Amino acid sequence: MPEENSLSDYINKSNEITKIFDRKIRIALVSSFTINGLSEIIKVKSAERNISSIVYESPYNQYSQEILNKQSNLYKFLPDLTFLILDTRNIFGEIFRFPYSISDLERTKIITNKINEIKNLLDKYVENSNSKIIITKLTIPSFSPNGIFESKIENSFHNMIEDFNKQITKIYLNSENIFVYDFDKFITKNGEDNVFNYSQFFFGDLKISMDYLPKFGQDLMKYVIAHLGLTKKCIVLDLDNTLWGGIVGEDGYNGIKLGPEPPGNAFMEFQRVLLSLHQRGIILAINSKNNFDDAMKVIKDHPYMILREEHFASMCINWNDKVSNIKQIIKEINIGSDSLVFIDDDPVNREFVKSVFPEILVINLSNDPSSYTYEIENLIDFSVLKITEEDKNRGKMYLQQKKIIELEKTSRDLQTFLSQLNLKIIIKNVDKFTLPRVSQLILKTNQFNLTTKRYQEIDIEKMIKDSNFIVICVQVEDKFGDNGITGVCIIEKENQKEWRIDTFLMSCRIMGRDIEKGIMTYIINTAKENNIQKINADFIPTQKNKPVENLLSDHDFVKNGKSWTYIIKSEIKVPEYLSVEVK
Amino acid sequence: MSQKLYKIISKVMKIDISTISDELGPETIENWTSFNGYVLLNELETGFNVKFTIDEAMDVKNILDIKRHLKNKGINLDE
Repeated sequence: MPEENSLSDYINKSNEITKIFDRKIRIALVSSFTINGLSEIIKVKSAERNISSIVYESPYNQYSQEILNKQSNLYKFLPDLTFLILDTRNIFGEIFRFPYSISDLERTKIITNKINEIKNLLDKYVENSNSKIIITKLTIPSFSPNGIFESKIENSFHNMIEDFNKQITKIYLNSENIFVYDFDKFITKNGEDNVFNYSQFFFGDLKISMDYLPKFGQDLMKYVIAHLGLTKKCIVLDLDNTLWGGIVGEDGYNGIKLGPEPPGNAFMEFQRVLLSLHQRGIILAINSKNNFDDAMKVIKDHPYMILREEHFASMCINWNDKVSNIKQIIKEINIGSDSLVFIDDDPVNREFVKSVFPEILVINLSNDPSSYTYEIENLIDFSVLKITEEDKNRGKMYLQQKKIIELEKTSRDLQTFLSQLNLKIIIKNVDKFTLPRVSQLILKTNQFNLTTKRYQEIDIEKMIKDSNFIVICVQVEDKFGDNGITGVCIIEKENQKEWRIDTFLMSCRIMGRDIEKGIMTYIINTAKENNIQKINADFIPTQKNKPVENLLSDHDFVKNGKSWTYIIKSEIKVPEYLSVEVK
Repeated sequence: MSQKLYKIISKVMKIDISTISDELGPETIENWTSFNGYVLLNELETGFNVKFTIDEAMDVKNILDIKRHLKNKGINLDE
């Protein structure tokens, strides 16, 4: 993990930011104690990721007033994300020091009141703003006047704080707008003695010390990354001295270090943490200079390998250079290079990859394998605000993809290949079950995306309720299984006779299978059923959406100034190899 | 060591090293706000591996005070 800069470094650097990036976010910091410097930290950390953060800091300890007053500057600021940073001392006042000066019953009552108070604030805020709000859990102090006996008390003060945290978490478990940040884990990781500094507390009511405020800011950045959909999707891994110790081509199958004894156990643990990420939807790929057979023997047969062939969506094991292999992986997985993380023990390879693909997150792996696991655990780039079914099944889906690529290689031509796939497209109106995935696709899809308009869940929800919009999603099945929801289309009914395609996108995973023909046919035929005469559409070119540059002309749209138009005549037919079901 | 001290003051207060003198304080340095005063003490603590007591921290009114407290902690600023 890179060394953190000091607070003054952040304050100085934030004044030097001049560049305005395309990705912008408005962040409000609302706190019960002094958090001076946090906005500078967030601005700098955002700029390092090509994000322009505009930050509002609420006046000191005025969180209630700011939230309860609809005319407050907080609401006027129109934040995308709001961090409500509370601390236990402030919430409980005198009770923090003297919890046992009152009865059990009174303590319990206080907790109930505090939960209601905070719930009321959160609900009000969500009702009156479009911002997502992240509330911090209350930290449990290590001190108790009861000392070690605290854990023997039924309604202890520490239990009360735990209850508060548990209940707030439970209330908002399924909320799309309210998230709970585990402040206690931040303390667990960094230590109460480091995070809380009495001297700074007495001096300026700081409850996160200046040395640890940058680390706290780093944690909050997880929400920024997730909200903007900048989450990394795939880890590209070297093999020798990365997934195992030593070089299989030289040390041999029996000579590599991988097993329950050190240093082999460090590599096993590293593989375990990678597997845990894979199970939650991160794609893994191999980029290794090796004899294919030597490496595959380890991957297939070594008794202590944790990651096996089925965990890798792509395996580039050859003597090509690392950059050529990355290009191959990008092509095979059909993924944007900015979604990749590259892990290799060789600094020369890392520099080479960085120089060609500055957008790839290249991990500066230390030369000590015992720190590999830690380095992965500390990445904030896999953060998501929602884990969808598609995420969980992604590993399986890429296995299907591998089979499809094999089928494609053996098919005579594209038509034969497509007809062997038994493609089925299921078109559905977006509902609350499919909304998270649809929002994820809208925020993340870069390549097959006609307009690259980014909508948050709340925006999409509004369109679903608005009768002037049709919001549909597309699920694709083939003979190898279900690909899940992989396409989204938003149509705006401009008037009685004209519709406009506001959004048309597909996950890159299903590109090249003519799915778009099925969707376009559905749109045109539905428009015809509704007596629509014209469908308008725009192609907004970006650096990444070349795959859709001919989508409109391929479907007989005619350029009409800046826009494109399709004049509806007769109903059109879906290609024979596609079956379309409308739900 | 005084070079190190001046570097930290210069960074936190955003003033040129050449302009730093003993009598400068919150009245004469624009960026010496109360918060930045804490930041300065905190970064001096880290930089010199010392700890200021609450009395010492309260007592700091100018650069000379900082030097005095650092000297009392065995930091040789003449090196």
